Amino acid sequence: MTQIPRWILPAAITVTVPLPSYAEQYLTVSAAQKLCFPECDQFAPVHVKFTPAQIKAIEAKSGQKQLLRGQEIWRAMQNGKLHGFFIVDYVIGKHLVIDYAVALSPEGTVKQIEILNYRESYGGEIRNPDWRKQFIGKGPRSRFALNEGINNISGATLSCRHVTEGVHRILATYEVCLK
Amino acid sequence: MRSASNRVRRARPSLGTFVEITARGDSEAKLHGAIDHAFDAVARVDRQMSFHHPASDISKINREAFQRKVTVDPWTWRVLRAAQKLSHESDGIFDITVARKLMQWNYLPRRYRNVSEGNWRDIVLEKNCTVRFRQRVIVDLGGIAKGFAVDRAVKALKCAGVASGVVNAGGDLRVFGLKSELVHLRHPVEPMRPAGAIKLRERALATSGIYFAQKRRGRAVVSSLLDGRTCRCSSRKVISVSVAASDCMIADALTKIVFVLREKSIPLLARYHADALLLERDGAPLWKFHSPCDTCDPTRFD
Repeated sequence: MTQIPRWILPAAITVTVPLPSYAEQYLTVSAAQKLCFPECDQFAPVHVKFTPAQIKAIEAKSGQKQLLRGQEIWRAMQNGKLHGFFIVDYVIGKHLVIDYAVALSPEGTVKQIEILNYRESYGGEIRNPDWRKQFIGKGPRSRFALNEGINNISGATLSCRHVTEGVHRILATYEVCLK
Repeated sequence: MRSASNRVRRARPSLGTFVEITARGDSEAKLHGAIDHAFDAVARVDRQMSFHHPASDISKINREAFQRKVTVDPWTWRVLRAAQKLSHESDGIFDITVARKLMQWNYLPRRYRNVSEGNWRDIVLEKNCTVRFRQRVIVDLGGIAKGFAVDRAVKALKCAGVASGVVNAGGDLRVFGLKSELVHLRHPVEPMRPAGAIKLRERALATSGIYFAQKRRGRAVVSSLLDGRTCRCSSRKVISVSVAASDCMIADALTKIVFVLREKSIPLLARYHADALLLERDGAPLWKFHSPCDTCDPTRFD
């Protein structure tokens, strides 16, 4: 049975509250770890701090700029045996700041990608370096859920190109730092 | 029976955008398992129907279907068949061979040379999921596959026993189960200002807009929304079209037709029991249409 939608259009568009940003927290780091490696009982942090040489190597291999000074990486283990790597990364687009996690096999192939936090902003603050800095290397947080009333948005498609590029950078990071 | 008390929402990059799945049910672990299955279905659509992946069915037929018959995944074949039906019904306004123009305008990577000026009639779908082209055309399922992926993800969730939820592939979405959902529409010019909201239950909604996608080409402004008959871009006054239908693939494809035909699309919309809303540049509704339906709630416009 189909149901006609109700188009609830405000009488005067001009009085609607502008939305500076749309944010959603999907998964915490530990929830994403369990989803990516359900069999594992231990996630050992092996966070790396990049040397200038490593940054150069990652940039050369991936063709992407490496803006992070380090990477949050966990070794996913079961009874002491390595099952893969869990890596948290951040990408910043024109309108987006995204925290996401990549699960790699021990051989460095992508097993799974999960978005942890998603923030979409058109308010201009995304161009402000101080505002952006708060997202870099600090782990996911939930205090940016600004607009709890908005759960679903329909509209023109936003590209996920930045995440795809970020994953290439992660694969280069694996080659340089973990292999 | 306990009510659906848990809600799990996850997102992954796929289909060139972000696919978000919301599921409600009793056990959180079960919901995660169901969402994994739904993402698997989306990944299969992405793998087979992407214009960009060299190993996809679409890349395969674009390379080879002019020379020989190509066997494709049954899902790809079904989407191609649906596209052909919509091309027929819209008299060629919806046409997946506009990929040639989209490639010229750099909306798609220029991966093919010597493409001929054919149209949807040059695509021949034969039994056992085989495809061949009569002309050296190329196809892109960008206008329909996302909707199909949403439908397959909803099916996977339902099969896994999920009571209700939403699958949203970059704005093309479907709501299922008893719970209704409020969906906000992006304002055509200011993407983070809602231009309105729609309450949906057991229904899909797709929106096509030219907000991010317009380009300047010489003196003309082009977008990825074009009339398959003329390969010209549709009216610049209309800037966003939303279509609601029972399945997302149909809603997705119908947005492209309504963009061109506007009021003239009423017979087609009625045939699919679909509703449409067109927004102008300033976010004001330009035209609305509701399919007559005996079983539906009365529709309210504010």
